[in-house]
Amino acid sequence: MSTTPTGRNRHERLAKRRRYRWLMVGSIAVGVVLSLLLRALEYPLVGEVVYWAGIVGFVAVWLATPVQLFDERDVALERRAAHLTLNVFAPVLVVGASAARILTYVGAYEVPAVVWGALWGYFALFVTFAVAYGWLRYRS
Amino acid sequence: MNNDLPARRETAGLSQADLAAAVGVSRQTINAIERDRYDPSLELAFKLATFFDCTVEDLFDPAIDPDRLHE
Repeated sequence: MSTTPTGRNRHERLAKRRRYRWLMVGSIAVGVVLSLLLRALEYPLVGEVVYWAGIVGFVAVWLATPVQLFDERDVALERRAAHLTLNVFAPVLVVGASAARILTYVGAYEVPAVVWGALWGYFALFVTFAVAYGWLRYRS
Repeated sequence: MNNDLPARRETAGLSQADLAAAVGVSRQTINAIERDRYDPSLELAFKLATFFDCTVEDLFDPAIDPDRLHE
């Protein structure tokens, strides 16, 4: 078994990783919660500034951190979560778009513009996925 | 994938956090590997094998049936 003369440093690195991850998530969470609160208190512009401060904090920690924030299992979990998300939204798009077209065609229901917007948004998401997949496949 | 990680780690007197720190992953990742809930990458498998001074096959048993490789 390998000895670990720098074991303490390694533990510190992992502790630092945990701290920075909390800082990242905390930054964006506090930004969003405070901005919602400020909007509710009728300070929408201040809320927006706080929101962006949270975003900037998130990106700053992400880019400036001296340690690797995510390990390979985090990446695998992210990939599985993305796959699961696509599997949830694919049927929503397939069934939803068809239902919206049929209802509009027979005149039974006027689908609100916001629903069409959401369906087009999902469509754009899947097109983006297909392009990204094709590009990655071409490069691998 | 079946693995010998918990036994080797305990024999070495290490906690999951110690092993995680030694190979540069989180304690949760070591825990997931030991509980057979996550298969490590080749790189991490080799790191673990190097750490315990053994081969990857000593640590992990994929239980592959040679007659069913095509499946």
